[in-house]
Amino acid sequence: MRVLRWELLRLRAQPRVRAAFAICLLGPPLLALVLSAQTGLPKDTLFGRHVRDSGFALPLLVLGFAGTWAFPLVTSIVAGDVFATEDGHGTWQALLTRSRTRAEVFTGKVLAAVLTSAALLAVAGLSSLVAGLALAGDRPLAGLSGTPLGPGRAASLVLLSWATELPPLLGFAAVSVLLSVRTRSSLAGVGGPLLLGLVMQLLALLGALGSAANVLLTTPFAAWHGLVRGDPYYGPLWQGALVSLVWAVACLIPARRLLLTRDVT
Amino acid sequence: MKAVEARELRKTFGGVTALDGLDLVVEPGTVHGLLGPNGAGKTTLLRVLLGLVHLDAGDCVVDGSVGGFVEAPGCWPYLTGRQNLEVLAGMDDAPGDVGEVLDRVALSDRADTKVGGWSLGMRQRLGIAAGLLRRPQLLVLDEPANGLDPLGARQLRDLVRELASDGLTVLLCSHDLTEVDALCQDVTVVVRGRDVWRGPVAELRSRPGRCLMTTSDDPRARVLAPTVLDDVESGLSFVATTAEVDAFVLCLAREGIAVRSLERESLPLEEALRELVA
Repeated sequence: MRVLRWELLRLRAQPRVRAAFAICLLGPPLLALVLSAQTGLPKDTLFGRHVRDSGFALPLLVLGFAGTWAFPLVTSIVAGDVFATEDGHGTWQALLTRSRTRAEVFTGKVLAAVLTSAALLAVAGLSSLVAGLALAGDRPLAGLSGTPLGPGRAASLVLLSWATELPPLLGFAAVSVLLSVRTRSSLAGVGGPLLLGLVMQLLALLGALGSAANVLLTTPFAAWHGLVRGDPYYGPLWQGALVSLVWAVACLIPARRLLLTRDVT
Repeated sequence: MKAVEARELRKTFGGVTALDGLDLVVEPGTVHGLLGPNGAGKTTLLRVLLGLVHLDAGDCVVDGSVGGFVEAPGCWPYLTGRQNLEVLAGMDDAPGDVGEVLDRVALSDRADTKVGGWSLGMRQRLGIAAGLLRRPQLLVLDEPANGLDPLGARQLRDLVRELASDGLTVLLCSHDLTEVDALCQDVTVVVRGRDVWRGPVAELRSRPGRCLMTTSDDPRARVLAPTVLDDVESGLSFVATTAEVDAFVLCLAREGIAVRSLERESLPLEEALRELVA
C-alpha cells in the first residue's frame, strides 16, 4: 500500500500523465464545440447521427472512437512507462534498497498504473457525458435497436458502457507492464501496446480470424454495444471480461517473475 | 561482528565473469576503500551488497541495513529534492528525517526546486542523502566525487569523514587514489573479480614508490641509490620506500653530495596498485 501511495504521487507529477488527464478532460468538450459549430453530423459513426438529438449520444460516440485506439494509448502512456522509467532515470537502486520487497514494489506499481488508467477513463467518460448534455440536453436516446431510452436509463447505460472498458484496459495495462519490464524501454512500453492494438483492430476489420477474433484484446472494447438497446444482451461482456483477465494474468505473471529475478545493472 | 563479511562471491553475466571467488571483510566504523582497474568487479560487488544483483554462489553477510549508490545516483527529475527523498522515506519502515538529511548534505536551500535543473554535484549529494535516509549501518559510495569540482570534492570528503566519525561504516569505491589515501583506513584491491590484496592503507602506502632525484655531479650517488631504474639525463630514477628515501638522502649528505631536487613520480598507493594489478 505504501508503494501504491507514493507511486500514485509520482505518476500524478509526471508531465505525460498530466497531459493525458488534460486530453481526457478537455477532448470531449472540444469535440462538442466542433460538432456544434459544423452543419453536418458524423453519420458514419456509432451514435454520430444522434449527437444533436440527445446529450447521451456524444459519450457513446467518444466511447466507440476511443475504444479503437485511444484507450490502448492512454493505458500504455501510464503502464508502459511505470517500470521502464526507473531504468531511464537510474532509480531502481534507490527504490530497491528500501524496506519494501521487489514483489511489493511490483504490486504497488501495477496497481498504481491500473488505478491511474481507470481514473483517466472515468475523467474522459464524465467529461463526455457533461459535454454531451451541454450540447444536446438530456432528451431520450435512441438505442442501437431503435428503442428510445429515457434520460435516467440512458445516463446509467452510458456510465455502465464506459465501465465495461475497464477489463480490456486492465489487459492492455498488463501488456504494457510486461513490455516495460522486459525491454526496460519506455518507447517499447508505450508504443508496443499501441501497435498491438492497431494490429488487432486491423485483423478484426479484415475478418481474417473468424471467431478467433474473440480472443483479441481489442474485441472487448466493443462489448458495450449489447447494453445500449431495448433488449440488452450480456454475452460479449462476460466473454470480453474473461479474455481480458486471461491476457492480464498471462502478462503479469512473467512480468513479476522478470522483476523479481532481474539483476539491476 | 564485521560490517561486511563476504566469502567466495561468484557472479557471471552472460558468460563474462564479474566476480570470481572474491572475499571482502569490512570492519565496523571504518572507511574501507575498494580499488582496482575498470571491469575488475568492484561495481558488481557494490550491487551485490545493495541487493541489486543476485549471486551465482558465495555468502555475503552485512550487519544491518545498507544505503548508498552505484555509479551515478538516480533521481526523479520532475520532483523536487525534498519530494524525491519523501518518496523514498515513504517506502522505508523507519526512515530518518528528510529535513535533517537534507541539512546534513547541505541541500536544504535548494530542496524545494526540481531536481531536473540540478548540477551533478548536487545530485551526488542527493544520492548520499537518499542512502542516509535509511539510517544505514553501511554506506556504499561508488565514485562519489565523480564530476565534482575541487571544492565540491573537498566538501564531499569532509562529509564522508564526518559520517565515519559518527560511527557509520563506509565502503568507498574510487579511482581517485588521493581520495582513498585521505579517507580510508583499509582497502581491498580487486583484479579480475578477485581480491588480490587487503589491509590497512598505511601498509599499502609504505610500499616502495618511484622517485626522481637530481644531485650534484658525483658518480657515487648512483652507487648509493636503492634500486636504480634509470640514470636519465634529468636525474636518477629509483624505487624506494619512504624510509629508504630518507636514509638515502642522509647518506648523500654524509658523503657531501648535494641533493638538488627530489620528487615522487607516483603516489606510493599508485605504485603499489600498479604492481598488484600487474
